Amino acid sequence: MNQEYKQVKRMTPAMRIIHWLNAFSMIGAIATGLYIGHPYYQTFIADGAVDKYVMAWNRYGHFIIAIIFDVTSVAIVYLYFFSRFEKPYKKVIPNAKNLIEFKDVVVNLLSLNRKNEFNSTHSDSFNTVYFTIFHLLLLWMLFTGLQMYVWGLGSGLSSIGSWWPWMLHVATDWTLYVTGGSKMDVRLSHHYTMWFIICWIVFHIYYQVWRTIFWKEADIAIVIGGSKFVKQDKANKK
Amino acid sequence: MSDKIEAVKKLFTSKSSRVETNKGDTYYQDLFAKCEARLNEMRAQTPANRLDFSELLEENGIDRREFMKWASATTAMLMLPPMFTPLVADAAVMMNRAPVIWLELQDCAGNSEALLRADGPKIDEIVLDIISLEYHETLQAAAGFQAEKQLDEAMETFKGKYLLFVEGSIPMGMNGQYGTIGAAGETFHDHLMRCSENAAAIVAVGACATFGGIPAASPNPTGAVGVMNVVKNKPIINIPACPANPANMVGVILHYLLTGQIPELDSLLRPKFAFGYRIHDNCERRAHFDAGEYVEEWGDKGAQNNFCLYKMGCKGPMTFNNCSIVRYNEGINWPIGVGRGCIGCSEPDFWDKYAYERPMADAKIKAPTGGVEKTVDEFGLGMLTAVGIGIGIHAAASAVAGKREKSGESHE
Repeated sequence: MNQEYKQVKRMTPAMRIIHWLNAFSMIGAIATGLYIGHPYYQTFIADGAVDKYVMAWNRYGHFIIAIIFDVTSVAIVYLYFFSRFEKPYKKVIPNAKNLIEFKDVVVNLLSLNRKNEFNSTHSDSFNTVYFTIFHLLLLWMLFTGLQMYVWGLGSGLSSIGSWWPWMLHVATDWTLYVTGGSKMDVRLSHHYTMWFIICWIVFHIYYQVWRTIFWKEADIAIVIGGSKFVKQDKANKK
Repeated sequence: MSDKIEAVKKLFTSKSSRVETNKGDTYYQDLFAKCEARLNEMRAQTPANRLDFSELLEENGIDRREFMKWASATTAMLMLPPMFTPLVADAAVMMNRAPVIWLELQDCAGNSEALLRADGPKIDEIVLDIISLEYHETLQAAAGFQAEKQLDEAMETFKGKYLLFVEGSIPMGMNGQYGTIGAAGETFHDHLMRCSENAAAIVAVGACATFGGIPAASPNPTGAVGVMNVVKNKPIINIPACPANPANMVGVILHYLLTGQIPELDSLLRPKFAFGYRIHDNCERRAHFDAGEYVEEWGDKGAQNNFCLYKMGCKGPMTFNNCSIVRYNEGINWPIGVGRGCIGCSEPDFWDKYAYERPMADAKIKAPTGGVEKTVDEFGLGMLTAVGIGIGIHAAASAVAGKREKSGESHE
């Protein structure tokens, strides 16, 4: 460790807040969602039905989390294009530079860190694509979830006005046709997508830990302190 | 500008499941006048058959008071204001002026059974008894050429006026040869096309005629489809369910007789008055659902106490129908009332996607990879295991490679 390290900022406070909001929301959404799909704990106890409200609380929690996701999704879509810090959309465009960077990062991962030939001072193309996939999965959950939600608003009314169910129909009825035509297809798709997201999370955590251990650039600190460290000569090279 | 906004709004809402329960006084005054005029017109016509509704009611021991109770309930079911009650009663009496041709295609005749209901007919069934059933393949006495003659005559006499009821799916495989009818061996498809040509509207009753039903279940050997997949350019009303509720059939005929129009439909062409709401939202066991009180196995304490059947595979939360309100057999009972879950029989593909009588999470269905049947969770856990194994191999290999690096020269 005789080299000079340079500190590089990678996540703004807003990005970190969104990250942890998403992380904890995800745990909550999975726990409540699994209960809604198949109530896995018993409430067969002495209390009257009116005092328990267990499924209703699970659904309430699931919907509140969904709203938090919806709001952060809007913020993220905005930041993708207009962030003053780093505009992620620039890394998703399949131009020659991004494709080479994407390939280099994948080769680094597969060659067990033998070919570390890309600039790691900024969020690379592979990372950004990986996060874009996540946001698309989340967006899909949002549409299918709201479609299932609007089934309960058959009257066309809601406490906040009839524009709300109307908007939900306009925004989400297409999911019925995309998934296969029946309401059950939407529900199954929502459930499958949860598993895709869980797999996404597992690899995400692994990859961040792996990077921290093998790149030796303190990547895991990005999401807490907002910055990491890159060797001076490497940072200057590119 | 406001025109444009209205047009856009109409474009997006015309086929949604939104139910407009109150359309305003002017609308109903207009409709009332129209219906009255239409009924007077009907009254002047000679009945197509000699059955007298009032006599039939009397024979079955149903008094005027009971009949009026039925009329007001039916008015409510059609989502019309109470002032329409006398008109609905009038329309019921004039049911013998509504010509109906009934086709029986690929199905089990369960909807005809529902229509006829052998045990002690109640008002809905009596109403259906006296409709002018010009031709019914299962019920008529005539056979062969004689029956075909009767059909041709009925279609000629009531050209453009008759309602065509269709029960059963249409087999499209092998050029439709899976089902033929009549002495000439006409395929179900050709038969349906011929009869629908001069119909005022087509009413597809039951799961088979609407979405293909059980004949269309995987692997669908006969290539069965519903009426709306075959007949185009004709008003079609779908009354799904297995069997369709006679109350909804009466509702559609009454609506047609009363207004001369078909009722407002949802995106699956189902009348909104019957299929506008979920079973779940009007279920008598809904409180147990919210409380997390479920029947865990048949005959347990929960079952004895009418707990929610969600964990026994009830599909009420995904099913739109009015059985939790009007029930079956004149409101006597319905599936959840007898302690078994809903199988979603009024939804498309119900046999493959709803009727497995297990919670969705436990049901064996075709996984996205195709082939083997798995539950969603089995598939998900399999995927997660694959990811875990991949990560394990990568982590172990990285650790070994890292050690080798340390002892040898670094690539830096």
